[in-house]
Amino acid sequence: MSRKMNNQEEFRRDAEVSACRLIRHPEETQEQKLHSGKNKLIVNISPHLHKDESVSKIMWMVVISLIPAGIAGVIIFGLEALQVILLGVVSALVAECVIQLLTKRRITVLDGSAFLTGLLLAYNLPPKVPFWLPIVGSFFAVAIGKQVFGGLGQNIFNPALVGRVFLMASWPKHMTAFTKPLTYDAVTSATPLAVLKEGRVLEHVSNWNLFWGIRGGCIGEVCIFALILGALLLFIRGYISWHIPITYTVVVGLFTYIFGTKGLFSGDWLFHILSGGLILGAFFMATDYVTSPLTRKGQIIFGVGCGLITAIIRLWGGYPEGVSYAILMMNAATPIIDRYTKSRIYGTR
Amino acid sequence: MKKYFSEFLKGIIKENPTFVLVLGLCPTLAVSTSVTNGVGMGIAATFVLLGSNMIVAMIKNIVPDRIRIPCFIVVIATFVTIAEMTMKAYSPALDRALGIYVPLIVVNCIVLGRAEAYAQKQTVLNSLFDGLGMGVGFTLALILISAIREALGTGKILGFTLAHKFEPAFVLGMPSGALLVIGLLLGFFNVLKGKRE
Amino acid sequence: MSIAQFLTIFISAVFIYNVILSRFLGLCSFVAISRETKPAMAMSLAVMFVTTMSSIITWFIYRFLLVPFGLTYLRTISFILVIATFVQLVEMVIRKTSPALYRFFGIYLPLITVNCAVLGVAVLNSDMFFINGKAVPGSFYYSAFQGVCVGLGYALAMLLMSGIRERLDFCDVPKTVKDFPLAFIIASIMSLSFLGFNGFRF
Repeated sequence: MSRKMNNQEEFRRDAEVSACRLIRHPEETQEQKLHSGKNKLIVNISPHLHKDESVSKIMWMVVISLIPAGIAGVIIFGLEALQVILLGVVSALVAECVIQLLTKRRITVLDGSAFLTGLLLAYNLPPKVPFWLPIVGSFFAVAIGKQVFGGLGQNIFNPALVGRVFLMASWPKHMTAFTKPLTYDAVTSATPLAVLKEGRVLEHVSNWNLFWGIRGGCIGEVCIFALILGALLLFIRGYISWHIPITYTVVVGLFTYIFGTKGLFSGDWLFHILSGGLILGAFFMATDYVTSPLTRKGQIIFGVGCGLITAIIRLWGGYPEGVSYAILMMNAATPIIDRYTKSRIYGTR
Repeated sequence: MKKYFSEFLKGIIKENPTFVLVLGLCPTLAVSTSVTNGVGMGIAATFVLLGSNMIVAMIKNIVPDRIRIPCFIVVIATFVTIAEMTMKAYSPALDRALGIYVPLIVVNCIVLGRAEAYAQKQTVLNSLFDGLGMGVGFTLALILISAIREALGTGKILGFTLAHKFEPAFVLGMPSGALLVIGLLLGFFNVLKGKRE
Repeated sequence: MSIAQFLTIFISAVFIYNVILSRFLGLCSFVAISRETKPAMAMSLAVMFVTTMSSIITWFIYRFLLVPFGLTYLRTISFILVIATFVQLVEMVIRKTSPALYRFFGIYLPLITVNCAVLGVAVLNSDMFFINGKAVPGSFYYSAFQGVCVGLGYALAMLLMSGIRERLDFCDVPKTVKDFPLAFIIASIMSLSFLGFNGFRF
């Protein structure tokens, strides 16, 4: 079939394409589907990365780019944060191993994706959570967020975020108990966004504090500097493109600027961009290949959607932070976005 | 006799209304937070199912096809009202616990679903056993789901605290938790049925 | 009557208190019909038609029959009868225009009658837009509009779910969870994510 020829010819390394939509036997499934009369074109045209090594490389690269944020988290919150990170990562690896053994699928623990899921989940937790929390969360994230869909490349939702909202709904007390930064003891303190949501006045938190991470919050989200270092690495190496994260951030900034306070056009947009889990979410979770749209146009829609929902929840919703929910909702919309923004296949009208 | 028994059994396993036919989800999600509520709802629904299936089977030849659904609704609503008044009289605590979901048995998909799919095409006796089987199947499903949700979601079951250090997962008290439990149970049943890969 | 109120109704019904994902009404058809987009959209259209028309008719019944004669306790039964009649109408139309679609819907078409979403919006209208039995100004338009918006919210949830399930059709999902178990799990995750809209205050 001429279409098939074109697809295979355009096999070139392009890190932005959905690397993780691994189709097990690309040639036959494509044929079957084209012949099946269903007339549903798979949007992921060229290139298909058939090689597993490339997926692995991307995953580990993202893990490496997240290391600065982890180090910063441990410095700011102490060794308990390290414990959470280790528990999260190890549980995720164990969960993936066990489930793949039980379901007799190929063991892919070394491809870095379970490691990444555990890491991101841990980064989304407060530093002083009980030891079992990251374990349960990681298990849930890997099992329900990923394996139940058939493994990497087939999950619809970001697994780390699935784990996070599950933990948030199940044990809200633990998930909202934040500690004071740089004190290494059990003094609780609310995050800046939580203070704002309760209507209290924000004291002692300047934008510089937010940038360096001197504030209450989740382990991996607080140090914007470290996160930006990691994000730059991914940008330079071409692993993520600007479309989703920049659109997301700009929309949040714009929306909070316009609607942030009682009068219009006077909101503190810089505060909103730097606080909460926005930078972590926009650059490392919303950009996940598998759960975000393929095309440029789709990605921009995705970024705008995430931004709007995040800003709306922050300003008018019951929760102080909306990043996790926004990304998950847009994950759900991704198949539809993909369908309506699909690119042309070369050689066809 | 064997035939009637198999009509009854089918509602429990093969065509279980919750797990196989996927009907009656709204009350299942709302009511399965505790085992006592689940049992109470199950019994009330079984009563309504029995009554409505029987009456519909009796009147199926008299009712004109074009207005059959409103007619069935009237029949169902009558039995629901009887059930509601009985419950208010003899176990007001349960009535308060189940709240609006008792009158909402009128819109329980299972009841109208069986009237439409079965009772209007079958004999009175068959419909009776079908209604009984569906009701029991529904009740058993409710018990299973609420046992899990109550034990893991509140740490207690039927008033007994399970383990003192155990921190219950609140999500199970919410409808998402219920959906999760049903999904996982369905997967588990598939494993039992041998649908492995 | 204000534009702000209409806007609020729209955003609440479609997103914030989405009838399926936040209020958990109408789940039977949501899990059963959402496998493919075309039938899912057809079902959504049918549901939207029924919710809108029944919102209108139940408004009249509540305003001119139940309230003046002190019969508000008959609300549930009378609303259900109205809805049942309408669904019968829709069923006749679909049977004539597209027998394939009629056969596909099977039992779920008459089950729109007992779709909690439909009765739910009728009851919601009479709770929201009547105070102590008196209709608030613009109550009729608000009720009708809310009927439309609840239908839209239903359609949105169906659209998202069918998109997801169609995409998963191309994937190698484990056989133990194929179809229904996975649909429930997806619905669970979707409703977890919609928890983000809890506690909304404009």
